[in-house]
Amino acid sequence: MKVNLYPKEGLLVNAFLVLFFINATQTGVGIVGLPRIVYMAAKHDAWISVFLGGGLSAVVLAMMVLMLKKYDSADLYGIQVDVLGKWLGNAMNIFYMLYMTISFFVILMNYIEIVQVWIFPDLPTWQIAIPLILLTIYAVNGGIRIIVGVAFFSVIGTIWLIFVLIVPMQYADPKNLLPLLNTDLKHIVNGVYKTSLSLMGFELLMFLYPYVKEKKKVFLYSQLGNLYTTILFTLITMISITFFAENGLARTIWPVFSMYKIVRLPNLERFEFIGVSFWMLVIMPNMCCYLWAASKGFKRIINWKQNHGIWVLGLLVFVGSFFIKARYQMNEVTDFVAKLGFFSAFCYPVLLSVLVLVKKWFLRRKKASAEVS
Amino acid sequence: MRKFHKSNLFLLSVCSMTMVISAGCVQQKPLEKLGLITTTGYDMEGENQIKGTAVVQKFDPMTKSATKMITSFAKTSKGLRQQSNLQSNQKLVTGQLRSVVYSRELAKKGIIQLVDSLNRDASIGNMVYLTVADKTASEILEIETNNKGRLNLGTYMYNLIKQNVEGEQIISPTLHEFNHNYYDIGKDPVLPILKVKKNDVIIAGVGLFKGDHLVDELKHGDLFYLKILIDKYKAGTKEMGYTTDQLKKIMIKNENYTKKPIYSKIYVSIDNIQSRTKIELVDKKNLRFRVDVDLDSRVLEMTEALDLGKTASVKFLEKKLDTSMKKRIEGLLIRFKELGIDPIGLGNEYEAHLRGKPITQEEWDRKYKDVTFDVHVKNTIERTGVVD
Repeated sequence: MKVNLYPKEGLLVNAFLVLFFINATQTGVGIVGLPRIVYMAAKHDAWISVFLGGGLSAVVLAMMVLMLKKYDSADLYGIQVDVLGKWLGNAMNIFYMLYMTISFFVILMNYIEIVQVWIFPDLPTWQIAIPLILLTIYAVNGGIRIIVGVAFFSVIGTIWLIFVLIVPMQYADPKNLLPLLNTDLKHIVNGVYKTSLSLMGFELLMFLYPYVKEKKKVFLYSQLGNLYTTILFTLITMISITFFAENGLARTIWPVFSMYKIVRLPNLERFEFIGVSFWMLVIMPNMCCYLWAASKGFKRIINWKQNHGIWVLGLLVFVGSFFIKARYQMNEVTDFVAKLGFFSAFCYPVLLSVLVLVKKWFLRRKKASAEVS
Repeated sequence: MRKFHKSNLFLLSVCSMTMVISAGCVQQKPLEKLGLITTTGYDMEGENQIKGTAVVQKFDPMTKSATKMITSFAKTSKGLRQQSNLQSNQKLVTGQLRSVVYSRELAKKGIIQLVDSLNRDASIGNMVYLTVADKTASEILEIETNNKGRLNLGTYMYNLIKQNVEGEQIISPTLHEFNHNYYDIGKDPVLPILKVKKNDVIIAGVGLFKGDHLVDELKHGDLFYLKILIDKYKAGTKEMGYTTDQLKKIMIKNENYTKKPIYSKIYVSIDNIQSRTKIELVDKKNLRFRVDVDLDSRVLEMTEALDLGKTASVKFLEKKLDTSMKKRIEGLLIRFKELGIDPIGLGNEYEAHLRGKPITQEEWDRKYKDVTFDVHVKNTIERTGVVD
């Protein structure tokens, strides 16, 4: 396998789209439940945890870009083989593929659950799963430019949903945020960890990188994308903490939709119907990016057609959707993916970039000493 | 331009097909086949049983009466819905539920299990009004049958409460606010009490809750002070009564109608009240709260001629208002303290200053007994209408 990937000129995307790519992959089903999950760990200082979590992902993202810059135009599949060797590298590649497929699966299942709870209680899982998976396959079939386009469209198309949160803000009690920094460090750090599931997604930059036209600007735009997500998440967490009572937030599974519930339009009694429907637009780029990056592995590792990989993974996820029936099963799987995600998106890239930096430094020194002698 | 692949076209058509087909697979709900429950009432009926009464709005062009009242018995509120369905030719749905009435008996025992079922059900909105019946809930909902279905009670009750919330008469009793106050440690909910008057339903007062059970109720006069403490007024109205002696100083002596007083007391009505209340914990150790109330208002009516042209007399009246309001507010705060209820949210204020371990409900209940207050009321009469 070649380490570097040189796509055709026509397949490249502009660097500023990285901003939308990062934001779209980070914002997904996670944020709907994020305020509650972090609140249970860090109490009313949860927003500080979320903010710190954003900071942590910024650091990891910076390390990633640093690593990617050491190569000319490589993706994670190539880098892993380059650094870890053929066998271990490919094993890690397959692990990463699995991780991304499971992430895709969890996003899909979480969204289906939301639809079933909030809108159609009697709609069978497979009936929503088929159109969603097919839609994703359709988008991924169109190639990376279409996927980045979906991400762009998703961010722009759902930006107004934030402003709807002004309505619940009128019912907010800012006193809930006081006293500031009352939670001890241990719980805040735990909250940061709990944030990881929602901030996951930026690791996909390691697969997009070869397709970016101006590689110098990737650092700037990826950081901006992450900053936007961080501010958004912190704001939503803050509104949730003030909107719900202290024991109320811990009981609400989807605080964001519960907050939409309070919005009432003259000809539409219940705004959350719109919110849940529009959320499909929010999770679409998530699913597309994960499926794209995972199926890319088929081409990179065993030189299959990516097209076939897409169908194989799509089918796999569809079959998997039959195995989950209840909320507690969903919880277990989501928790598992959160742990997996914390490792694969936060710890592993840092580890790998350190390895790459050491390797490159070592090679350079070797080369320099060879030249001297 | 990239060629549009055949497989893509195929995918697109399959995608849209499945979406169209699955949209038809969902249970359909045509409006004519639905009975919309607009209001429900709950009563205790014997042991381990509740009696549910529901007013159902129908969209049946064949029948004259647009509403129907259904009574049923069950153990849970969802069980009630099943029982009610047996009595209806249309499928009963709760998406348009506007208000819920709990009987006084039930409210005294606690209503959280019924409120929780409203929370769990995603089809029920967050802005449903919760109310307490003066006697039984069925008594109130029976008005619908007494009026032969002309009143449309669900909408009527909704508007009754909404109008009064917007008119700043009562505190908004939505499901969301009840939840917020119930699940908050340092605050307790309040809900309006409804009463039957002839063939009509009226708001008789406000019920004060401790957690989820009704403890006490406030009548019309005290509502003003409760609202001042919990909320703020944008354009409130209040009448204050004084004995002739108290206001002798500023009465106009030689005005005609003072010679023959109509009332034995003097009443002053102030309106356009804009109030701001600040509750502050001034002494954390001794639990001393400072309550600052600022009221801007205008005098629009008095039952005796008062000389409000002079600055000094306006100031005098302001002082009088201050002292009498202060007395009432203090009385109310002490009453809350003795009952152990905290509708104002003093606990929240305390919590906001509390570092370290968060307080539990029991701890706050114990601490609440030692709370002391420092009430300061400041009235400003901005205008006296178009005459002095």
